[in-house]
Amino acid sequence: MKVEWRTVLGASVFLGATALLYWALVYAHGHPTEAAGITALVFSFAAYFMLFGYLVLQYIKRRRIPRPEDRFDATQADGAGEVGWFPAASIWPAGMGLGMVIGAVGAVWGVWYLIVGGIIFVGAVIGFVAEVEAEPE
Amino acid sequence: MTVIQEPPGREYRPAEPQLFEIVPGPRPHGLVKYLTSTDHKQIGINYMVTAFIGFLFAGLLAEGIRTQLIVPNNNFVTENVFNQLFTMHGTIMLFVFLGPFGFAGLGNYFVPLMIGAPDMAFPRFNALSYWIYLGGFILMSAGFLTNNGAANFGWFGYAPLTSAIHSPGPGADLWIVGIALTGFSGIFTAVNIISTIFTLRAPGMVMFRMPIFVWNQMVTMFLILLAFPVLTAAMALLWIDRHLNGRFYDQTHGGQPILWQNLFWFFGHPEVYILALPYFGVVTEVLATNSKKPVFGYKGMIGATLSIGALSMGVWAHHMYTTGAVLLPFFAALSLLIAVPTGIKFFNWIGTMWRGTITLNTAMLYSIGFLTMFLFGGITGVMLAQPVLDFQLHNTYFVVGHFHYVMFGGSTFAGFAAIYHWFPKITGRKLHEGWGKLSFAIMYIGFNLTFFPMHPLGLRGMPRRIETYNAHMGWNFLNLLSSVGAYVLAMGVLITVWNIFRSYRKGEIAGDNPWDGQTLEWACSSPPPDHNFESLPPIRSERPVWDANHPDQLTEVGHR
Repeated sequence: MKVEWRTVLGASVFLGATALLYWALVYAHGHPTEAAGITALVFSFAAYFMLFGYLVLQYIKRRRIPRPEDRFDATQADGAGEVGWFPAASIWPAGMGLGMVIGAVGAVWGVWYLIVGGIIFVGAVIGFVAEVEAEPE
Repeated sequence: MTVIQEPPGREYRPAEPQLFEIVPGPRPHGLVKYLTSTDHKQIGINYMVTAFIGFLFAGLLAEGIRTQLIVPNNNFVTENVFNQLFTMHGTIMLFVFLGPFGFAGLGNYFVPLMIGAPDMAFPRFNALSYWIYLGGFILMSAGFLTNNGAANFGWFGYAPLTSAIHSPGPGADLWIVGIALTGFSGIFTAVNIISTIFTLRAPGMVMFRMPIFVWNQMVTMFLILLAFPVLTAAMALLWIDRHLNGRFYDQTHGGQPILWQNLFWFFGHPEVYILALPYFGVVTEVLATNSKKPVFGYKGMIGATLSIGALSMGVWAHHMYTTGAVLLPFFAALSLLIAVPTGIKFFNWIGTMWRGTITLNTAMLYSIGFLTMFLFGGITGVMLAQPVLDFQLHNTYFVVGHFHYVMFGGSTFAGFAAIYHWFPKITGRKLHEGWGKLSFAIMYIGFNLTFFPMHPLGLRGMPRRIETYNAHMGWNFLNLLSSVGAYVLAMGVLITVWNIFRSYRKGEIAGDNPWDGQTLEWACSSPPPDHNFESLPPIRSERPVWDANHPDQLTEVGHR
């Protein structure tokens, strides 16, 4: 976990520093109209700081014990057991995608598409949730 | 339980515990499989095939552009159609082919294989991202079928050309919606691949043992997470301007057209690296495999990738020097700085080949072609990063030439290297080497014939995106050369298309590890079974398969 959160922290710090430097230089050179870039940089910094926070909390929650994939000497036996549930096939993602695409057409040709797409999307989400509920933990 | 044939010479197979439970149940085939599969390999193939269709379609549009420009005062297409051609050529190449082929197609297929994962972290989410990508592709292309035609304001859609007054009709709206959908698809894929890399690595596969390809994919995904939301926001504002009488980009009512440029390029420059970094990873893997050596300067390579990613977030306005509204020294300095990590990568690529046992197969040829062409494009990029020169060359064919050297000579050549390198893993059959080498030779010649003349054309003042020109401008011969080159290039591409069709059915059976590969994807059968691995070789360096197959030449682990 250590490398992961350090990488994200590094990206976040770089973006924050760039935002500060850019803001200072823009201010010094008198380009008051340029607010978009500074805003985007600050939000980028915040996004990665948030991700860093999540990762570091996970790290502390594990009491800093490295996972098998963080240990240089781990063997396959250390990773034995259930990794997770990986579904073989599901029609619902395609249904959700169809709903989203038809709904997006509503932005071009009017709100009726949005309603049709929305109904398909919600139906597919219901099917998706039912499928997930039926699965073993 | 799938039965896997035991390949010869693998002592590490027996007595390893099963990594995961294989889900019982019916395995669909054909169209149903295409519609319902949540397997990362099937989705990766879907992405690659769709993206390649996009490549052929956008390539056809490019042939239209070059045919119109082959002689002065040509009337092959009207002005409006010409504008649609270059707009949709750029849009489809960038949003449908180059990005998704690299980060979604190759990323989906090979990231889980290379880190020893059974699948992606969110398989169904992964399928959803493919479907909205496909929908985006169809919607943006559907513009050609509408009355006013497709979007016709250039792929970066500068305000106020995109306003409801200058671009009426559904073509522009379809462009907005299509890009927004492919953008969402990119964000979903990014979340998925980052989660996969962070949580599903095999035991012993520490971060600093992951192949460079995986590191590059990870940095690409970080860039997508920052860049695509900004683009989607810019598209939403544009839509509000067009349909709800918004004034965001309308100068006559207090809006700012330059706001669009800032938002678009805040996406647009990281996007260029989103289109390049996965292919850097491809080239690294191909060069290392075919030189029979570990990657030279492994950690330096990772550091270079991370610095390219970081720096690319602070250079967006180098596309906007001539607006006079940006801070020239800041953007020029950061843009020039990117040359440093890219240079490190070049030295490391050469260092990887240095004194290696080099096999010059087709993938290797494409990778070496990539090195030469991308270097050229990179150097013209450094030239353009300097404001003094950019003021002269902005909006000329010099920029078009530079961009195509980076995106075609660079990324697309590496994409072809990936096709030749990993086709055996995906299908179990090798592509024909002879046709492949012929395809490479023709593409290499055609490519340079097409895009090199664009540099002198730009220096002679030919602006980009003009639909015709006068005979006395001194541009005739170079344009003729460029157009002939475009036909040669298309021929080279078609040979590879034919090679794929031919080899898919009757290519030479490849076996599991045809190139004596180094990374984990060569440890499973070709094509890989459901959920990839029955068992894994011990992971003690960044090339576990090489260590398992060559116990006498173990990788030195000096870079902890």
